[in-house]
Amino acid sequence: MLKKINVEDAVGTRLAHDITEIRPGEFKGPAFRQGHEVCNEDICHLQKLGKNHLYLIDLADDEIHENQAAAILAQGLAGEGIRWEDNPKEGKIGLHAAMDGLLSVDAAALAAFNMVDEVMCATLHSHTLAQKGQLVAATRAIPLVMKRAPVERAAAIAAQHGGVVSVKALKKAKVGLVVTGSEVFHGLIEDKFAPILSGKVTDLGSEVAGVSFAPDDETLITTAIRNHIDSGCNLLLLSGGMSVDPDDVTRKAIRMAGAQEVNYGAAALPGAMFLVASIDGIPLLGVPACGLHHRVTVLDLVLPRILAGEKITKKELAFIGHGGLCMDCPECSYPHCPFGKGM
Amino acid sequence: MQPFEILLESSAKAHGHLCPGQIVGVRMAMLGCRLIGLSEPTRRDQIKKLIVYVEMDRCTADAVAHVTGVKLGRRSLKFVDYGIMAATFFNLETGKAFRIISTEEARDLAAVYAPEIAEKGSRQLAAYKRMPDSVLFRVQKVHVNIDECDLPGPTRRKIVCSVCGQMIRDKRESMIDDRPVCRPCSGACYFTHAREVSWPDMNWSPGEQTPANRTNRDGDAGNRRFAIQ
Repeated sequence: MLKKINVEDAVGTRLAHDITEIRPGEFKGPAFRQGHEVCNEDICHLQKLGKNHLYLIDLADDEIHENQAAAILAQGLAGEGIRWEDNPKEGKIGLHAAMDGLLSVDAAALAAFNMVDEVMCATLHSHTLAQKGQLVAATRAIPLVMKRAPVERAAAIAAQHGGVVSVKALKKAKVGLVVTGSEVFHGLIEDKFAPILSGKVTDLGSEVAGVSFAPDDETLITTAIRNHIDSGCNLLLLSGGMSVDPDDVTRKAIRMAGAQEVNYGAAALPGAMFLVASIDGIPLLGVPACGLHHRVTVLDLVLPRILAGEKITKKELAFIGHGGLCMDCPECSYPHCPFGKGM
Repeated sequence: MQPFEILLESSAKAHGHLCPGQIVGVRMAMLGCRLIGLSEPTRRDQIKKLIVYVEMDRCTADAVAHVTGVKLGRRSLKFVDYGIMAATFFNLETGKAFRIISTEEARDLAAVYAPEIAEKGSRQLAAYKRMPDSVLFRVQKVHVNIDECDLPGPTRRKIVCSVCGQMIRDKRESMIDDRPVCRPCSGACYFTHAREVSWPDMNWSPGEQTPANRTNRDGDAGNRRFAIQ
């Protein structure tokens, strides 16, 4: 229960909650923290903040303070790879990445959590690459005092699959590159694919174990794939030959090499002719020629997820569609743009 | 208790179709029984311990009754017409009672729990199976004050209507001028203009070969000795 008192009568009482001060463009934060004992000197400051009354809290058995509520909520929301401190500021608790890795958000549980009255949680988009310590979500109870039961129900909803937000470290893969195309193989043009793909692999902390070149010949491409697997690669990237021309034989070669669960086509532009398959559990990604031209393609959406241990199937490639259209900006600002954020 | 899918299949068959209300009802009943400590509510040793109050006459009510085995005629199923998707599970032996309310937000959340299904009905079916109980329901611990005359078992009291002479059971009479009156005679009743009639083949009975029975068997509907007055 809350009791309202005049600020002038508050000397000697303890504040029921943090009191926020906002100085536009300069400062936003707690001017006073919960539990602060109000003294004469504070009265004028509080009045300048628009506080002519304060609350005194008298909790009933089934009620909890917003700070207790925030801790219960954070406990439910935090999954693997998330760190948080039970030190709410203005009623909010931040959830941070405990390591570098890929953020995963259980969007259904998040929506269900937020449908409970008087609680909230906001997150970054699922599949965002997070750095150790980065704020990836924050939660709070809306009122100052609330019933315990709905808070606990919201926390249970959040915890249904081990927490709403989790961060998984990326595996360090040994990547085999196969650059296809007779024009490159025979030296008619200079290869640009290998450095681009190598850069994307090493940026994510993996290593390129070998690069091989093959002409548009399914048998030779198949051999290149098998050679990488035999030499211990646990992720394969193939470039070129993914389109519909008669010379585009890479897909056929991938099947000949023993690929299972071949998913050709992704709901992203650039990247519609992307391919995901696996050979004996080793993921294999077929990168179409758009990877040469565009700084960011569907590969940048899928590769981190593969390295985080996610299995990419027809469903994942289809769900990219919402938000999967690159705006092709003159200056690319990815990942700070909507591309790939609709999932 | 049998697994969810088996209960759902038999419930849908008994109800006549599979619908989201069946899933909600089966799950509500499973949760309710679990909360009041009845693992096999339809088993002989538990069947008399359970009373369920359903607050709606919708598909969900049938599923709740099917899974728990409560029946109107056993007085273990109580219909209280609140128009709320809720049911209360009451253990007569322990006095424990929990009211389970189906959340309205579950409808809005179907799209996020089954985003790959476009058709609304199928999406609701899939989503309601995937949602945890915490999303599908809110639960209240409640006290149920049940009158002895509402309990299963023999009739506790009989009294005759002072207006029409009808026998009234279990304290369902109204007292008007200190005299017992049945609901129809009190006027607080769902029908009006009651008038006693005779009807065709009044003497039919299932056990005896009466002339009326033979007429029915021969399909001679035109040879009726009585007409509705």
